[in-house]
Amino acid sequence: MSQKVVLWLIGMTLLAAAYVAATMLVGGDRRALLVGRTTDAHHQIEMACETCHAAAPFADAATAERELNETCRNCHEDELDAAVDSHPRSMFRNPRMASYWEKLDARLCTSCHAEHRPEITRTGAVTVATDFCVACHSEGDEDIRLDRPSHAGLGFDTCATAGCHNYHDNRALYEDFLAERAGGPALRPEPVHGPTARFRALERPAGMALGRGDAVAPAAALADTNILVQWAGSGHAAAGVNCTACHADGLAADSGPAGVTARWFEAPSTRACRSCHEPQARSFARGRHGMREHPGVAPPRNPATGLERVGLSRLIPEIVAGWVADPVPPARMTVGEARLPMRADAEEHRALDCGACHRPHDVDTVRAAVEACTSCHDDRHTRAYADGPHHTLWQAELSGEAPPGAGVSCATCHMPVTEGREAIAVNHNQNDTLRPSDKMIRPVCLDCHGLEFSLDALADADLVDRNFRGTPTVHVESMEWAVRRSAGDEGGTAR
Amino acid sequence: MTDHPQTRMLTFTEEILLLVGDEDGAFLPIRQHAFECVLAGAVLMDLAFANRIDTDLEALVVATEDPTGNPMLDAVLAKIASRADTTDTQSWIRVLSTEDAATIRERALASLVERGIVERREERFLWAFGSVRHPTLDDGAEREVKARIGRALADPIPDPRDIALISLADACRILPEVFPGREIEPSRIALLRRMDLIGREVAGTIADIQRTIVSAARAQAERTQKLLLSLSVAAVAGTGAVLLVPRIPVPDRFGPSVLRSLWFDGFWQQWSGYLLLALSVAGLVIGLAVRKRLVSRIASLRRWRFAHIVIGVACVLVLFAHTGFRIGVNFNAALMGFYLAMLLSGALAGIAIGAVHRLRQMGIGRMGQRRRVLLWLHVAAICPLPALLAVHILAAYLY
Repeated sequence: MSQKVVLWLIGMTLLAAAYVAATMLVGGDRRALLVGRTTDAHHQIEMACETCHAAAPFADAATAERELNETCRNCHEDELDAAVDSHPRSMFRNPRMASYWEKLDARLCTSCHAEHRPEITRTGAVTVATDFCVACHSEGDEDIRLDRPSHAGLGFDTCATAGCHNYHDNRALYEDFLAERAGGPALRPEPVHGPTARFRALERPAGMALGRGDAVAPAAALADTNILVQWAGSGHAAAGVNCTACHADGLAADSGPAGVTARWFEAPSTRACRSCHEPQARSFARGRHGMREHPGVAPPRNPATGLERVGLSRLIPEIVAGWVADPVPPARMTVGEARLPMRADAEEHRALDCGACHRPHDVDTVRAAVEACTSCHDDRHTRAYADGPHHTLWQAELSGEAPPGAGVSCATCHMPVTEGREAIAVNHNQNDTLRPSDKMIRPVCLDCHGLEFSLDALADADLVDRNFRGTPTVHVESMEWAVRRSAGDEGGTAR
Repeated sequence: MTDHPQTRMLTFTEEILLLVGDEDGAFLPIRQHAFECVLAGAVLMDLAFANRIDTDLEALVVATEDPTGNPMLDAVLAKIASRADTTDTQSWIRVLSTEDAATIRERALASLVERGIVERREERFLWAFGSVRHPTLDDGAEREVKARIGRALADPIPDPRDIALISLADACRILPEVFPGREIEPSRIALLRRMDLIGREVAGTIADIQRTIVSAARAQAERTQKLLLSLSVAAVAGTGAVLLVPRIPVPDRFGPSVLRSLWFDGFWQQWSGYLLLALSVAGLVIGLAVRKRLVSRIASLRRWRFAHIVIGVACVLVLFAHTGFRIGVNFNAALMGFYLAMLLSGALAGIAIGAVHRLRQMGIGRMGQRRRVLLWLHVAAICPLPALLAVHILAAYLY
């Protein structure tokens, strides 16, 4: 091989390496450097590395690890607090827990949730072995088999997989809760999801409803009668929200034709929605559909800072930025980027903004509750919905045969109406009641079903796939054990 | 007789060194043992022409122990005088070529430096491999020596000193290099060779050594080639395993696990990574040194080539420890691809070298061409690796 060819090859790869190094230190798309497939939880934000890798470049390992773990809390701390985390970080930071740190350092999220490790990533983005509970609950006073004879023959790999325990969220699984609700019916006599029923019963302020003739828009827009009819029948018109609220940046409807025309724009952004539906927008950004809007997603890097770091601050950052621009903030999630099975006829490039589920003019929440989901999702659970009991109830509610809140749409379980201290609203974080799915028990299932049935049904993967058509064939024994223990039939004390 | 070095005539040793050296001060490619025999013969010729020794077909005897004034010749003369166990010319050629060739060469080169004909220049390659060259400063002496040989080749009655020089030059097969493009009649050379006893003995000794070396080398080559073949096959098998063997899973059991530590623990990943880097650099340096012929003075080329292949096999093993033969994704997949291409092409070239005789017996010829292609691929795969490894390491520390 001639020396020229060798030098040419080395030169070309050095140039390419220099570009890659520039993307690392100054700016640019770094997805080619991912060492492994990002988990389903984070793949949408994998282009914004600093969202998680927040430490300064070349920080020491301890600092990098600490910063990395801080960023987990930026996004997940609220939900862990809400879940009354069974193993909060504060518990393990106590020096008395030091003996456990070497076994499994639970002060760090990354001890159990390492990113980009698809080979060892299990359900829930867990990257430690399934029997990880053995680390702390198999020796000395903490040996669970001594305290609970019922657990004597159980393997530690079943703790979190048999429907009995979760590491973080045990709101529907702790012993007192189980014992109190033992013996409940599979289906309550009048099954209705309470928050949904109360949400449906909300009355709109009287005298604010608008009709077709009240629409304020440029003449060209008013000429589209289809849109006009859709709007007139929508919740927006019923609540007195005129066209200008979204299309003219909240301009008062009485601003006159010239003012409206001057401020008019055809395609309002989600900012317009957020201006009125802030709680929904906030929860939307916490879920898989809208997480790219989460405030915790790192902004693009400043090329000037990167250039200064590598001693090239004399270069004009604007020119460099054109070559190596961070692809953040990322564009909205599209159907094509989904990792769950999607329908072949779903619009691959459809961006998941508010209008993806809520058509912008009729804002039909009925369509958004089922049809919007089934028009994209194509997994067994979704496909089985139309033949399942929940769909029958939904149809009954829509036809007026069943009371409000008796029907079960996709949104009833996955985006349930939630009552806060001040407001009642649809939770647009569809992940709030998923993974593990027994997070759904308290806010949704128990309004209609008994706890025992709910536990069994959610533990029966086949039944879940059939969208609950049939009865559970799996039985989670924890309820009986809790009852026996609370009755003093089993050693130890209920807690 | 004492001559000042600046004014005395050149010795045979110095003349032969001028002939075998090129303009840049490197030596023409001459077999080591032949060169050493020629140097020994040259010293004996110097002593014979200085009437200090007498040679015939049976024996070599010291005529007088009077110093010649040349320290190197005097040292050899003293050695010959002190040993009664060695009597004939060929034996002395063997003794001197084995025990004194390096000294003879260094002293003769020092003398040439002192006379301002050549200069001594020390160089280093990668701070590890030193080399010394003797570029020509004044080529007058060399031109004169060549002119004498040229005349002697044509002269019906050449000078005995020129005959001796031609015998030495012919013994180390440098006449075609000294007179490129000139037709030299073999029968003329044979005739001149017969006219000089020491030259004839030098050629005979070289031929004897050559036969011994060839015989020993064949046996050694067979052993080495078997080992080379085995190691290369192991390297090919290891590299092939990356692509063919199913990935070894880590156990889904909490607790210490060597495999999990090796493949998923940053600490061990770092150590195995740097070990792999060190091995790769060592392999690269040795490969370069072998290719540039910079290591033959330290040990035989074959041993360095062998070391290169042992390092290649070690790289396969450490690569397994570092990756578990996981190809990886994205950038790491590209790095792994080039690394595997380097290992595989190198190992296949090793097979081509190690199995060359067997393949010839099987009627598979033209291995040289295939080996060149494999070596080309080997080098081509190495070229991007430094840059890819730099990015790989940088990324590990940045994220």
